Amino acid sequence: MCQAGEARRPLPLMFVWLSACLAAVCFLSLLFGAGEIGPGASLSSLLGMREGAAQHAEEAAFVIHELRLPRTMLGLVVGMALGVAGALLQAVARNPLAEPGLLGVSAGSAFAVAIALMLGASAATLRVSVAQLGALGGCLCVLAAARMRGVGNDPVRLVLAGAVLSGLLGALTSMILLVDQRTADEIRFWIVGSLAGRHLEDLQAILPSLALAGVITLLIGRPLAALALGERVAVGLGHHPRLVRLLAIGVVALLVGATTAVAGPIAFVGLVVPFAARALAGPDIRRTLWLCLPLGPLVVIGADIVSRLVVQPSELPLGVLTALIGAPVLILVVRSQRLPTL
Amino acid sequence: MPLSLSAGRSLLGMLVGLGLFALAVDQASARTLDTAYGEVEVRDQPERVVTLYEGALDTALAVGVTPLAAVSTRGSDGVASYLQDQAGDIAVVGTAREINIESVVAQRPDVILAAPRLPEEQYQLLSRIAPTLVPASEPYQPDTWKEEARFFAQALGREAQVEDTIAKVEQRAAELSEQHPQASASLVRWMPQGALVMSEAIFSNTLLSASGFVVSDGDVVKQGRPHSDPLSLENLSRIDSDWLFLATLNNEGDEALASAKSSPAFARLDVVERGQVVPVDGQLWTSASGPLAAEAILDDIEKAQR
Repeated sequence: MCQAGEARRPLPLMFVWLSACLAAVCFLSLLFGAGEIGPGASLSSLLGMREGAAQHAEEAAFVIHELRLPRTMLGLVVGMALGVAGALLQAVARNPLAEPGLLGVSAGSAFAVAIALMLGASAATLRVSVAQLGALGGCLCVLAAARMRGVGNDPVRLVLAGAVLSGLLGALTSMILLVDQRTADEIRFWIVGSLAGRHLEDLQAILPSLALAGVITLLIGRPLAALALGERVAVGLGHHPRLVRLLAIGVVALLVGATTAVAGPIAFVGLVVPFAARALAGPDIRRTLWLCLPLGPLVVIGADIVSRLVVQPSELPLGVLTALIGAPVLILVVRSQRLPTL
Repeated sequence: MPLSLSAGRSLLGMLVGLGLFALAVDQASARTLDTAYGEVEVRDQPERVVTLYEGALDTALAVGVTPLAAVSTRGSDGVASYLQDQAGDIAVVGTAREINIESVVAQRPDVILAAPRLPEEQYQLLSRIAPTLVPASEPYQPDTWKEEARFFAQALGREAQVEDTIAKVEQRAAELSEQHPQASASLVRWMPQGALVMSEAIFSNTLLSASGFVVSDGDVVKQGRPHSDPLSLENLSRIDSDWLFLATLNNEGDEALASAKSSPAFARLDVVERGQVVPVDGQLWTSASGPLAAEAILDDIEKAQR
């Protein structure tokens, strides 16, 4: 990891570099899968070369366009949303460990969807708003915990509070599973996230709220950076800390709810990505947010590629893999001597 | 499971059990069965029967014995729907995984018919309530269900009846197998991320084999496991057989089929385009076993052919 002193590299250059890496990973994501269409066959199909039997070429085209391309696009969106949501939540909670998955925001979202499913809802659009409402509830719990004495200024305690919330919501979700086993398979999806088998229509359903979240984020970037200097400084500069915080929480709920609705809860992305982005860009939240955009999908799609390759012919749920990547980072952050207060 | 809580109750249960056991021995018409936990003695024609295994409930009902209590089926809080009429308002004493020992004690059973591979700890506990019979059958063999049915029927003193029902099933499967020589078939459960492929060796698949299908699990199920992990959508062609049986845990089979069809990877399978996907009841096809279940599954197979 970079030291803080090195973090003065020009932002546009880093952004371009990371975007190039992301493009490469997206390309790899089209080449590799759990099926029989290997990288060679995929490459020739992408280049338009007709190799071997027509049926084989048709199979390759189907796998690439209908299976790998949608999940890559989904990974792009989910990665960006989770990266940004993590960075915002950390800025608002002033805590480098604040992460939607760790603090129960994703769990709140998944729980809300599980309840909606149990009550018989099935429409994709409804699911998005329900997931966002659940995420908002989770966010407010987090914020309340962060403002409690002794919790807010101790990052690790906040994570403990979040773990309690996650555990509680997880238990409630399991209880729904017990009460209503008929929807068990549907709900099981909401316990560990995955990019496989989702429809592009689902992606369309969340685009409006993602756009809204993007606009608000652009507006609150500067006040958030000011808030990092302290509440009084921000007020002195003419900002409204309470409003800014509220807006940021709203954005986190929009983003996390949307990703949970399409991909289920995916933990630790919101921790790992801002952590790496800060290491590269320094403490300014605006710089961090820009780098989260390419870094988020980089982590998500990278993990997704691995999830396809490790247990062929099956696939590992993405949420399992991000947890495997994220847990060591969490330990690293907690154990590092200078736990930064944001 | 409230194991630790029920220590007092199980002591009570032990006393009740011993009392009944003594009564049974008194009648001097006991029989001895070879079980997975050695020889166990049961009284002839037990009256208060508790089944802790869906296959045992099925067999008991098939030979004309109505148990007092049973475990619920997968995905429901009652017995499997194909047994509901015959079982009547039978008491439910837990699920296959979590048996409520106190409820079992409350039934004051003469005999407990348990699942194969019942953990030793549970066996010790249950056998203090009543003689507990655990079949020693080898799992995932073509004749496992027959072996188990004979075992439970012997415990109930109904050997002749069970041979009749087994013979009926065998004969019917043989008749069916003449209608569609060597068609291939797969049995799956559908999830949005992919399909769970059921093992070639599970009960319903052995019946498909017996009725002339060549059952394939696409080589994705590990030995000794009931089903695979969710198969990657890229590998769905492995289940593209002549017939695809789609098990659902709810009764809305058509809904499950529609949801599966909304996946482009599923919709493009040849078997889907030919319309030879058969939605079936997952309780019956992936959880149950026994002669009545066999009859019901053969009914489904016959219906699918028409």
